[in-house]
Amino acid sequence: MFVRNDAKEFRFCRSKCHKAFKQRRNPRKLKWTKAFRKAAGKELVVDSTLTFAARRNVPVRYNRDLVATTLKAMTRIEEIRRKRERAFYKNRMRGNKDKDLASDRKLVEMNPELLKMREVELRRKAEKLEAKNNAMEEEDVEEEEEASEEEEMMSVDESESESEEERVKVKIALKNKRKLRLTR
Amino acid sequence: MIYLKTLLNVIDNSGAQVAECIRVIRHGRKNCAQIGDQISVVIKQARPVTSDITGNAASRVKRRDICRAVVVRTKAPFRRPDGSVVRFDDNACVLINKNGEPLGTRISLVVAKELRQLEYNKIVALAPKTI
Repeated sequence: MFVRNDAKEFRFCRSKCHKAFKQRRNPRKLKWTKAFRKAAGKELVVDSTLTFAARRNVPVRYNRDLVATTLKAMTRIEEIRRKRERAFYKNRMRGNKDKDLASDRKLVEMNPELLKMREVELRRKAEKLEAKNNAMEEEDVEEEEEASEEEEMMSVDESESESEEERVKVKIALKNKRKLRLTR
Repeated sequence: MIYLKTLLNVIDNSGAQVAECIRVIRHGRKNCAQIGDQISVVIKQARPVTSDITGNAASRVKRRDICRAVVVRTKAPFRRPDGSVVRFDDNACVLINKNGEPLGTRISLVVAKELRQLEYNKIVALAPKTI
């Protein structure tokens, strides 16, 4: 326990906290502290189960029955608190899956070329080879061939990208179906 | 951990502000003073006598006076019988006479509650808070 000169007492749970205090860190700004989590709405703060454990400055006369009931109630209250905390957490995490899915979908839409990296590589390799072969042949023949090849490649590319998109769509549809089943 | 040359804040209204320990008054072999131990001090810094706001003239102390004092706060952590370790912000003392009564009439800040068991009840009563 550290006692400041204005009579404020500080009890540190571990030396990590003590060191942070000595460095004048604000516990509300450190993500790992309870103070931050409570201030940022990440934990259950307002609840009737939490009021039982609060410190009171009211002396209570000893009563054997009271002690017995309190001891019995403690486990039950703890149970309820756990349940509520779980529910709170679940509620907090609700909608995250949809959000992730949406962002993933957006990513796929933004960068369709990432899905067929291998195909792009192969195409480039083929192009290089063709260029090498063409350099050996005569000039007029070269030009004609290149033009035709380019056209072909373009058409292939289009068809590929279409097929990819279709696949993604099918996947998403499948996922959605599964979800629907689960929800039912 | 108060010993020769330690500077302590004086937290009563006797007029002294900073005192230096010159002797630990103790019977044991250890010569560190802890909370509740008596020491003799020399006043290093005092409020000027002209601004005579508090305390009667007899109990006012001046610079270079030698007095008895009792340690009321230490920066070094000490252990309570219940296992807790307590540490204060500074080293502080209260000036007393030979009978153990405080020279001043007021104490400004917190003192340790160990003083009560050691029969410095006057100091504990004067202090705004004991911890």
